[in-house]
Amino acid sequence: MAEEMMVLMLQLGIILIATKFVGYVFAHYLKQPKVLGELCAGMVIGPYLLGSIAIGSLGPLFPLPLNSTVPVSPELYGISTLGSIFLLFDSGLETDLPTFIKFSGKASVVGLGGVIISFLFGAGATVLLLPNVNSLMDPAALFLGTVCTATSIGITARILGETKKIATPEGVTIMAAAVLDDVISIVLLSVVVGISSVQIAGSSIHWGVIVAVAFKAIGFWLACTVIGVILAPKFTKGMKVFKSLPLISEVAFGIAMLLAGFSEMAGLAMIIGAYIAGLALSQTDVAHSISERMKSVSEFFVPVFFAVMGMMVNFSALRSVLGFALLFSLIAFAGKLIGCGAPALLVGFNLKGAYRIGCGMLPRGEVTLIVAGIGLASGAISHDLFGVAVMTMLVASVTAPPMLVGAFKGGSGYKKKLNLEDNSDTITISLDFPSKRAAKFISDTVLEGFIAEGFFVSSIESSHTVYQIRKESTIIMLDIMRIEDNQASVKLTCQKDDEAFVRLMLLDSIADFQAFASTLTSMQDPEMMSAQLLMSMFNED
Amino acid sequence: MKLKNVLNENVVKIDLESNTKDDIIKELLAILKDNNLVDDVDLAYKDVMSRETKMSTGIQHGVAIPHAKTKAVNQLTACIGLKKEGVDFNALDGEKSNIFIMTLSPSDHIGPHVQFLAEVSRIIKTEEARNSILASESPAELLSVFGI
Repeated sequence: MAEEMMVLMLQLGIILIATKFVGYVFAHYLKQPKVLGELCAGMVIGPYLLGSIAIGSLGPLFPLPLNSTVPVSPELYGISTLGSIFLLFDSGLETDLPTFIKFSGKASVVGLGGVIISFLFGAGATVLLLPNVNSLMDPAALFLGTVCTATSIGITARILGETKKIATPEGVTIMAAAVLDDVISIVLLSVVVGISSVQIAGSSIHWGVIVAVAFKAIGFWLACTVIGVILAPKFTKGMKVFKSLPLISEVAFGIAMLLAGFSEMAGLAMIIGAYIAGLALSQTDVAHSISERMKSVSEFFVPVFFAVMGMMVNFSALRSVLGFALLFSLIAFAGKLIGCGAPALLVGFNLKGAYRIGCGMLPRGEVTLIVAGIGLASGAISHDLFGVAVMTMLVASVTAPPMLVGAFKGGSGYKKKLNLEDNSDTITISLDFPSKRAAKFISDTVLEGFIAEGFFVSSIESSHTVYQIRKESTIIMLDIMRIEDNQASVKLTCQKDDEAFVRLMLLDSIADFQAFASTLTSMQDPEMMSAQLLMSMFNED
Repeated sequence: MKLKNVLNENVVKIDLESNTKDDIIKELLAILKDNNLVDDVDLAYKDVMSRETKMSTGIQHGVAIPHAKTKAVNQLTACIGLKKEGVDFNALDGEKSNIFIMTLSPSDHIGPHVQFLAEVSRIIKTEEARNSILASESPAELLSVFGI
């Protein structure tokens, strides 16, 4: 046991160092998402390249485990799974729930279109290109078709998160459709496994069992999402009695892990449960704070997940089927782009939006590998076809991130103007200050006052300083803006109903500040203080 | 925030006797003391006055909202007093104050005292509401303006 743990520590150390450096190079010099660097780092250091080289008496650092479809040790795979849970929990937290619900209908059309067309493209290509596969019901055609359906919500979420596009109409549609895609893919997988196993055994198909599995998966997803959204505000409100934000964040992550486990028990992927937990909490006042706290930890675990995904690529197994693999990858690629892009055109997106959605649905990852792994383990597909599945994942995952980043440049891809908030009910209270420093000083006092009243404050990245001040459904925005002649203004925007409250809070904060300022004037002469400081510098010991 | 959880007829006095800011604050604190809502009147007085020295809570249109966070109370408490002829409360608009709403909330708790004040302010924002309050003949009549 001690030796396995020692190897695990060495592996994690190498993975972290490699992914961080390669990720940095990709982000800063190649202007590509970090995730791509992390995937490539995994391929290079993994068991099929450098990781297979023996290092003295230690042997290879990334040895291939025996009798396993996953080419890394169960311990390392466990850590990478934890990384995927962190990633999807955070993606859920960052999703804008009202927009998610608003776009879920459109997302269903996109997700379903993607699954049906991708499946037909994949299964059809297998029948046409492989001489020993003659029917769409052949286990190999069924599995390769299913391989084409899944979307790597992980890769997409990371790119949309890095480029701050997760809350756009396209971003939300992609996220919702990708989740639905994974749910549908996994339901499809249970159906395909059912059909293949009876075909391999030579007996008849039990549709009743297959339908039951499908219903269980869909039912779990729907029930957890609805219950989660209803219970999350009550949970955070109840947890506030402990007056500890770290405690709320950590317990929330514990719940995400439990839901991930239950999700697997219900026949879905674990990441779906983690995403639902994040999504449910996304509308609570502590969502920003939980997300900020999670990010510092997930920066250690998420790269492990992507590196392990890169490690799955077996370059030598691909050699024998390289031609078919490349062609299949391209067909699968087209299937996704058309399958998701075309339905997007029908539900209110313009050509640019449809292309963005098509690109966003391209990355494949964890579910593709899960599907291929199950196919390999059940004997439905051979090692070379497993390699084809990996190649398909690889082509999509390597080409999609730069395409997605490029696609999101320019204006909106949604035909209608997105009006998320009705601004007619909001008011802005503005205070001007002689300098930005003074404005910052008074803002800090105001923010402290809100925190003392039980509000949660989080900064939002913008061209100027913006804070979101939130308690349950009350949301106030505080902007510090530089105006002419080096002056600065502090603007507080809130709902009209909260105006009196905000004014009173400002009044108390300014009174506090005034008291502080009067204590400053009673301070001893600053010039005298400076002189004393200087004189003390030259005092002899 | 439900105002009726904090306000009732026992904490409303429609004819305050005092004629100075200092005495008005003491009289309001006495209302709270009589209802066993404040443990340490001296401490509460000190904390309210400390807030007043920072900036007067006499706001506009005759309304004053003396308030403080203090260890002298265990929960949010409030009382309302009227002095129809008005008292100089160093109000921001220089006018005399005649409607006094005092709020005390525990200092070590995250309390809803500003929400309470905001709720009250929203109601007495209109001149009509303020006139109805000043015309009240009984605590019950005054509370009806707040919908209690």
